[in-house]
Amino acid sequence: MADVRRFRLGFDIGGTFTDFVLVDEQTGTVHLNKVLTTPRDPARAVIEGLSALLDRVKVRGEDLGIAIHATTLITNALIERKGAKTALVTTEGFRDVLEMGTEVRYDIYLFLERPEPLVPRRWRFEARERLDKGGEVVIPLDEQGLRKVAARMRAEGIETVGIVFLHSFRNPTHERTARAILARELNGAPISISSEVAPEIREYERMSTTAANAYVQPITRSYIEDLERRLVEVGYRRRTFFMLSSGGITTGETAQAFPIRLVESGPAAGALAVAYFCRFMGLGSVVSFDMGGTTAKIGLVKDYQPTKAHMMEVGRVKRFKKGSGLPIKVPVIELIEIGAGGGSIAYVDSLGLLKVGPQSAGAEPGPACYGRGGTEPTVTDANVVLGYLDPGYFLGGAMRLDAAAARRAIETHLAGRLGLSVIDAARGIFEVVNQNMLSAMKVYIAERGEDPRKFYLVAFGGAGPAHAYELARALRMKGVVVPPNAGATSAMGLVTTASSFDFARSFVTRLDRVAWSELNEVFGAMVAEGRARLAEAGADPDGAGVRVARSMDLRHKGQGYEITVEIPDDVYRRGSTEELTRLFYERYEEKYGHAHTNLAVELITCRVSVTGPPPDVPLQEMSGAPRDPAAARKGARPVYFVEAGGFVDTAVFDRYRLAPGAEFGGPAVIEERECTIIAGPQSRIRLDAHGNLFLDLPR
Amino acid sequence: MVPELDPIGLQVRWSRLITVMDEVDAALVRTSFSTIVGETRDFAVILLDGQARSVAQSQLSSPAFTCSLPFAARYILRVFPPAELVSGDVLITNDPWLTHGHLPDFIVVRPLFAGDRLAAFMAAAVHISDIGGRLDEFEARDVYEEGLRIPPSKLLLAGKENEQLFRVLEANVRVPRLVIGDVRAVVGAFQLGAERFEEFVADYGPQGYQALCDEILARSEAAMRGAIRAIPSGRYRGEAIADGFQEPLRIHVTVIVEGDALHADFTGSSPQSVTASVNCVLNVTYAHTIYPLKCSLTPDLPNNEGLFRPISVYAPEGSIFNARFPAPVKARSKSSYHIHNAIYAALADALPDRVQAGSGSFWSFRCLSRDNDGQPVITHVLPNGGKGATPGRDGLPTIAFPGNGTITPAEIIESNAPLLVLRRALRPDSGGGGVWRGGLGQEIAFRATGADPVQISVRPDKIRFPAPGLLGGSPGAPGELLLDGRPLAPGPFNLRPGSELVLRLPGGGGLGDPRRRDPRWIARDVAAGYVTLRAAKRVYGWDDAAGDRHHSGAHSRRRPRHGTAGGRPRNAQGGDT
Repeated sequence: MADVRRFRLGFDIGGTFTDFVLVDEQTGTVHLNKVLTTPRDPARAVIEGLSALLDRVKVRGEDLGIAIHATTLITNALIERKGAKTALVTTEGFRDVLEMGTEVRYDIYLFLERPEPLVPRRWRFEARERLDKGGEVVIPLDEQGLRKVAARMRAEGIETVGIVFLHSFRNPTHERTARAILARELNGAPISISSEVAPEIREYERMSTTAANAYVQPITRSYIEDLERRLVEVGYRRRTFFMLSSGGITTGETAQAFPIRLVESGPAAGALAVAYFCRFMGLGSVVSFDMGGTTAKIGLVKDYQPTKAHMMEVGRVKRFKKGSGLPIKVPVIELIEIGAGGGSIAYVDSLGLLKVGPQSAGAEPGPACYGRGGTEPTVTDANVVLGYLDPGYFLGGAMRLDAAAARRAIETHLAGRLGLSVIDAARGIFEVVNQNMLSAMKVYIAERGEDPRKFYLVAFGGAGPAHAYELARALRMKGVVVPPNAGATSAMGLVTTASSFDFARSFVTRLDRVAWSELNEVFGAMVAEGRARLAEAGADPDGAGVRVARSMDLRHKGQGYEITVEIPDDVYRRGSTEELTRLFYERYEEKYGHAHTNLAVELITCRVSVTGPPPDVPLQEMSGAPRDPAAARKGARPVYFVEAGGFVDTAVFDRYRLAPGAEFGGPAVIEERECTIIAGPQSRIRLDAHGNLFLDLPR
Repeated sequence: MVPELDPIGLQVRWSRLITVMDEVDAALVRTSFSTIVGETRDFAVILLDGQARSVAQSQLSSPAFTCSLPFAARYILRVFPPAELVSGDVLITNDPWLTHGHLPDFIVVRPLFAGDRLAAFMAAAVHISDIGGRLDEFEARDVYEEGLRIPPSKLLLAGKENEQLFRVLEANVRVPRLVIGDVRAVVGAFQLGAERFEEFVADYGPQGYQALCDEILARSEAAMRGAIRAIPSGRYRGEAIADGFQEPLRIHVTVIVEGDALHADFTGSSPQSVTASVNCVLNVTYAHTIYPLKCSLTPDLPNNEGLFRPISVYAPEGSIFNARFPAPVKARSKSSYHIHNAIYAALADALPDRVQAGSGSFWSFRCLSRDNDGQPVITHVLPNGGKGATPGRDGLPTIAFPGNGTITPAEIIESNAPLLVLRRALRPDSGGGGVWRGGLGQEIAFRATGADPVQISVRPDKIRFPAPGLLGGSPGAPGELLLDGRPLAPGPFNLRPGSELVLRLPGGGGLGDPRRRDPRWIARDVAAGYVTLRAAKRVYGWDDAAGDRHHSGAHSRRRPRHGTAGGRPRNAQGGDT
């Protein structure tokens, strides 16, 4: 049998499918499998799908060098409120902050609702203690009082606890003491403390995050223990690693301690896969665009790294409306989510205008053309009418689409009411859903001070490659890239990523007033923690491939918002706060055109990211001399193009028969099993050596 | 209809205009200096057509601003006729009578050109951190005491800063870096907006833009007229009483619905005050009349001036709602924020499914301290009381209405100011009783921690006259402002180290007869401590031993659906789920 460390396994439990990617480390050969998710016992689909895959490629469980896992389990537990009986302990006087929130209305015209807090008021307790803004003790922790609280928790049958004290990010002593006491009193129930879960200023966000961590800790614990046990049964002998929402990976122990960091791990893996493909495309910066059945997710990759954010929201009560969910302050690969997918339903609103989404027909009943009982018109139905999808080649022909049903749904629900033909109504669905995505993309890009014209759009997901050309054209981007294996992109991200750990500590001070030694201490502690975690993940913590990235959230003194400024290693080594100040002014000016150099600079938060060496997984280079694309031509059909104002007879190509180096002009349809790529008349199509399909747009 | 403007073209382009303003909004937030703009979002950015009629706004724009902004823009354009404007000009004023009724609200307007032709305007209303004048909130005798008044002026001339104006501004405000920083952030955000507008007209042409605007305005107007037509024609009277400053204020409105038009007449309201800064200019009265009507009648439509057209407002000159120059106006929210209560009271019987009981928000808290360098630091906190109940839903606790903003976190307050926040907690029993209970207010307590006293000014409200209930619901609990346990008169004062300042924010009003509230919700409220047992007995007739009401005769068999655990929420408009 072959050398044991030959294969890397990635598996991603999504809402509908569980995806597997198995990579042969030496050859770069990729094997895929896809099975239906088993929501009540998610590990079952994992074991079944994995066994089938291993059998197929004749690999034993013992041959797997590493298994990396992403899951929607935790996100779902938060959305569906299936967590444990959770208590919260706060500084005296602040237990209601969890319920009061930010006090802002996320929609100014609706008589709106807010998400229920994860911990109801009767389980929110207070401890007598207080720190000031510098972390100095104002009131010592009342340990006796805390024991009484523990007794009440026992009586209530509390299973898990979050502890959040004011300014604990400056001094965690009280939280740690409280944890020790409660752990003793509650027989080892899991306890989350805010100075570890989210050590950042702003008590509501920290409290919300800590409560959420506590809430999902028990179910994560039993799930991970069960999964690891069953993986052993199929012969896997090593530790299982877990994808974090930040794009790093971590051990089962850390995942159990900080399950909240696993929220949205699947989409994070998708963004990492895009970054990985970027290396082979030679494109450092791209916009990623993943459009599936219900949602579209958009992100930014810069310098081969997905952009990160420090906060996200889960469980929005008003779907996709920013501010209507629970804030979760964890490092996260930044992706915006839009209620726009193949299943998004189109309707006519009270003004007589065509609207699309966010309601989705999902997989059941699905779009009208699925023939599973859906009657309302969806984006997929429009795409069939417009010639973007071949009803006979959906999922490679595994599922037949009913084009007449698609037409009927649009006719019945839209065309008549809008006074338009079926074609125009279908074109309307396509344009409106694109506009929805464009709006979100534009605001997202504006919030980051970026210019869309500098980027390619990397499209994947079932519907992404059909819509990407129009989006790129409207944003005047360079073009579109569709990477290979676009159907299992997230799982690809799992096997190609390095171990990486992110840390943050709030430290509010004027930059010109702080001693370098103090900063060094804050950063040093985080780096040491990062190296320790790397060692746990099996990497050499002091090896040459380890990267340490430091950054600071800085602002002009008195300004309401911070920007994150990366500190280059040489700047850090020189240890000069004046240089950091200059760096801030430069970055600020780059982003917003003017900095106020007469104003002092304020430090809010220090951040560190420690990354191990990336695994050496080559993207298999495609062989074969450049061939005439005509060989890959399957036929032709009329396809609607917005810029042409009507149908154009368009050649259809088989992606699997397109050879590297192939280059030709649009319009064209390029089909693969899981998606269809629509290349408009203005695009130049080319396939690079690694199988990335480019649609270049004229500059 | 022009063929290009079919329902799809209209939807796509309309949405694109809103996106332009959302981009401007995002740029402004990210570059703003003050917490008022950056965190509490007290601003609006709108796009106007060639005739300065508003057609689009950022989706989180502060609502009242968006109603008065088009008027303000047109006033400014009377002083600077469009024909004389050039690309890169930016205009500014804070004249309360032309704009939004008090000096801290800056109105900034930039003409937008398509080629060399003026095609549109972009406008912002921004609450800046300070405008000089007296520190107290109420006691000015005229507007001259309230700070610097900038008549319509050019802030930028063809892209170049009007340095003299900047110097005047800098010399007249207490925190120039915040004020100038925010003003420049608006200018920068407008630059982004101007580029986006140019891209838009490059795609559709200036005529295409104007045709789109006409269509947006016409459709919106028709939608509002349709919604008004659904209200039975008639005259509806509503009244609310507000604390005012020394003297209570009477808000009296007659809402006259005639077919598809609605007129609000404020005759019968208090005369303008000569001793307190609680006066509204007509623009503000108009804005605060439109806003609650928009929430009730067309909540899910994008906001623009077309929606305002079927609504007219009258208030007698010299009354609190149409104050004559130079009346003091600084704290005009003391009257304007009560207008919706009178409007909803008037419409409650005609429109029972679309009204909201009175809300407890908001107060303003301002602390002036000095940092280690002796530089002045202003810390603003805008805490909210409970929201009024709506049909089908209890009022939310501690949330803004009719304004909107974010509470400054305790940890941020303490980082900025020498204060310790002793507690921030919900106030049990502060929500007015009803079939639908009012939202709870909150208690916030402060202590000064430095060696020196800090200067504080608090603008409380609903201390004497609480947020009213509707349709038989009880009012919310009134607010309280206490210094070391004793009631404190509003106004600036020095908080001495060791003293304790307590703000108890009012609760929201209830809706419907409390005795008809579903007993399950009463039991839940008592268990959570939102309602004490005593109050449950008194307000709801609760019998704790029975776990039900005393008088079974009053027991409602209705099973209201509820906006919290256990039931699917239902919005008054039916559109918010």
